[in-house]
Order: sequence, then C-alpha cells, then structure tokens
Amino acid sequence: MLYDLNIVWSPGTPAADLERTLKFAKNLGYDVVALNHIIAGPIPTQPTPIPNPIPQLTPPHPSYPGGASTSTSSSSSTTNPSTTASTSLPPLSKSSSSSALPTTLRRATLVITDPSITNYRLPDYARAYDLLALRPTSDKSFAWACTSTSEAPALISLDLASHLGWHVHHRAAMAAVQRGVRFEICYSQALTPQGGVDGMRQRVNFIGNVQALIRATKGRGVVISSEARGVLGLRAPADVVNLMAVWGLGPEKGFAALGEGARAVVVNEGVKRRGFRGVVDIVRPAEGGEEVRRGDGEGEGEGGDGGKAGKKQKQQQKQQGQKRRNEGGGGGGSQQGEVSKRQAKKMKKEGSQAKA
Amino acid sequence: MVRLKDRYLLVNIIYTDVPPGQAKGGAVPDLLLYNQPTTSELRPQLLLKGIRSEVAALFGDCGAGAIDRSLQVKYLSPATSTFILRISRAHYRLVWAALAFMSRVPVRDGRPCVFRVVRVSGTVRKVEEEAVRRARLLVLAAKDEMAGNRGSSAADALGALLRSDSSSQARSVAVPGGQVDSEPEAESQGLSSDDG
Repeated sequence: MLYDLNIVWSPGTPAADLERTLKFAKNLGYDVVALNHIIAGPIPTQPTPIPNPIPQLTPPHPSYPGGASTSTSSSSSTTNPSTTASTSLPPLSKSSSSSALPTTLRRATLVITDPSITNYRLPDYARAYDLLALRPTSDKSFAWACTSTSEAPALISLDLASHLGWHVHHRAAMAAVQRGVRFEICYSQALTPQGGVDGMRQRVNFIGNVQALIRATKGRGVVISSEARGVLGLRAPADVVNLMAVWGLGPEKGFAALGEGARAVVVNEGVKRRGFRGVVDIVRPAEGGEEVRRGDGEGEGEGGDGGKAGKKQKQQQKQQGQKRRNEGGGGGGSQQGEVSKRQAKKMKKEGSQAKA
Repeated sequence: MVRLKDRYLLVNIIYTDVPPGQAKGGAVPDLLLYNQPTTSELRPQLLLKGIRSEVAALFGDCGAGAIDRSLQVKYLSPATSTFILRISRAHYRLVWAALAFMSRVPVRDGRPCVFRVVRVSGTVRKVEEEAVRRARLLVLAAKDEMAGNRGSSAADALGALLRSDSSSQARSVAVPGGQVDSEPEAESQGLSSDDG
C-alpha cells in the first residue's frame, strides 16, 4: 500500500481533471490519496461547524468512521455538510469508478503566519477534515507548530520551494516527531517550476530545504507526497524514491516514507476521529450479544429473589466466559463453583504436598 | 580483469491526454490512454540529447561529464513507448533523477508525458525479457478492454504486474551494491555481482 497524502484541490478544480489525476495516481500504484485544500490567509471565526467543501469520491478509508463497513450505507453516514459535494460527483457508474479510483481522504492545510490567532480553531478544522496539516511560514510559527499546538497536527508541510529564512533545528524537529507530527516533502514543488530565473531558484531552494529537513530529522518522521496540481505532477513511486535517494534520503527510508510512514499518519488520524479521545474504540461487538442481553434482562427482573433464575443466569454467563460474578450473586452466594483465588491456591498447594 | 559495470534501465513513456489532433469524441479507455505510441520523430540521438541536457540542468557539468561516456540507448521502440538505457552503475541514479524531471518528449513541440522507470537490472537480458513480458500482457489487457469485459483476468494481471513491479523494484533498489538477493526478481542484482 502506497500513499500520496497531497493532491491539490481547490473549489475551482474541474471534476474531470480531478478524476484524471486520481485515476493516474491509482495507475502508478498509489492506493490512498488525500485531496488537499490549502487555506491561506486569516482564518474566519464565523461558521461554527466548519464546512468541508471537498467531495467524498470514494467510501472512506477503513480506519475512519464509516469506512470499516464496506456497504454502501457507510458513505451516507459520513456525509459532509456542504450540498455541492453530491452534485460534483462524476456521473460514472459507481462500481466502475470506485475500482479505478484510489481511496481518497480529505485534508486541509492551514498556512500559518501568526500562531496566536489560529490555535483555538485547530480542533474545529481537525473535526471537519480527515487530515490536518500546518504550513508555517516563519520561524515563530514553525516552532509553535512543532511543539506547542494544543493538539498535534498530522503533518507539517513546509513550502520547500521558497527560501525558508530560518534553520530547521534537530531538537525542534525531533520534538515534533516525538509528538507524532510528521514532516512532509512534496516533490512536485520541484518538478513544475515556473520558467526563468525564478523557476531555477525554486528548484535550488527545494533541494537545499529537503536536505536540511532530512539532516534535521535524520530521515525519521518524513512523509513523501506529491502536491500535484495536475496529472503531470505525479511520478511513479520508484522514481520518487530514487529522487530522494539522490538527495540524501536512503531508498529504504524513502519507501517507508511512501508506505508505512504515511499509513501511520492515516491510521492514527482515523483512530483519533473514530474512537473516544483516540484511546477507546469499538472494534466489533462481541459474539452472542443477543443472548447476553436477554440474560441481563432476566437478572434485572428477578434479581431480588435470586433463586433458580440467578443460578441459571450464572451458568449462562460462565458459558460465555464473562466475568460478572458479583451481579446476580445476592441470592446464591455460596455455590460450589465459587472459590476464591486464595482458597484455590491453598488447595493446589495442599494437593501438591500430598502428592510429594 | 576488471569489468565495467553497468545498469540497464527499462523506461516507459506514459501519456495522460489524447493527442491534440484527434477529436475528443468517445472516451478512451485508461489502459490505451496511458500506453500510446510515441511519435516516430523520436530518434535515439534526440533522446540522448534530451537526457544529457536534463542531467546538465540538474547536476551541472560535473554530472553531465560523469554520465557522458557511459550513457547509451540500447533499444527504442516508439510503437510501445519503451526504451532501454545503459549507464555505468556508479551514476545511474543521476540519469534516473533526470528522467523524473523530464516532462515532455524530447522532440520539437513534444507532448507532455511522464517517464517511468519500470525495471533496473544489471544485465540487458533480464531487461529484455521484462520488456517482452510487459508488452505481451499489455496486448492481452488491451484486447480484453476492447472486448468490453472490464475487470477481466488479463487486466487484473497487468494491474498486479504493475503493483508487484513497484514492490519488487523496492527490494532491488534497496540493495545498493548488488548483493545477492534470494528473490527471483532480483536475480539480476546477483548476476551482476557474481563476476566482479
């Protein structure tokens, strides 16, 4: 599984072009791509649930809410609030288009100049989009994005084609990696420069910045993506890895940055959005759930007298391997099966002594 | 006797749009869209010139001089948009990087395209076998596409082939000095290091 977590999307992108790009990405071997909405400028305070304008072209990724079940109902459960999404879907038959398209995620990149005014909106953006990336443009905002955001963004995506104007220090970079932030290298920034002297400078800047970033992180916590603005911005994975190998990121690390590293970002963010505080998650309901529920109902109804019913319930629970000893134990507390751990240990010890 | 060691790159030219002359009447299947024939104006000399100038743009005189002697076009088939390059082993990454940066066919008013390296090997024989295998699969998949049954076996096989290529390439690329690998696909790496 190879990932490309950055394909540029804007509200003006024609659906046909987007589809071509996605199909080509799939053809080159990328299985999961993220459509990237770059939000520059001051962040508006007004719309309280931030709308997500990016269309959901495919069923969500398995690690995101609604993506685990492959049925068609899953896509409807995670509809985005905007109404334009459904209309901008390409009028292709569902089965053929979904097999040709890679799994798409929806990602936002916030360009950050002044960290103090954006911080409180970050969780809202994280909720609205599948992935949240930050693009700091100054020394101060870079340090803020690395170490002191309220919750760590998924990616830090620097504009490597411009002159950064500050050094990426090892300590700050590794602190960010320790928090779970990944640094993104977008190779298409170097591939499609505007002509002339400016274009040449862009490529020079890009190579220099990539090497600085690789040196600062020692190749750890780096994710490679394209930031392709069209079909021709994409390259095959092996070609990309070779480019990075020329610029100092070893081929093994390069492939990890396209595969496992990017997957870690996606799965991590998915769990954050799916589970309770990213910690507790329902993997799947236990088997035989119907029976247990019935048993519980009985227990509630006849829990008071605790005679035969209690016993029966207990046996049922034991069969299902559940440890709910205390629940119906009011009536039938002294049963044969009820042996405390200490008692059992004692008996075992005695038995072994007797044998010896 | 010390031998000069080479790498052979099998490169595909992939197009992403229909040629400008043709009408945009019907939708072209993706398989045929990506694997269009290249213009016959593309001669090996022109290709070499294009690659050399790109290497010079990326790596300067130093890089251009390093690959100048050893770069050679072994095979060029405009019909299948495939070519094989030979470069010395020490510098093949420079040429590969230059290929990644080329975005047009290096002829006058060349069409935009993507150069995709599909196989790196130490012997020309393995590369040739691979080229033949790919061409055959491509023809089968195209026939199926024309017959109209989507998602059929040959198309799936081609997809699997592309996929496995990228992963097996991962392995063979990951072995920098050409150590012997147990994988059958990476046999060429072993071959090149056997008689060193």
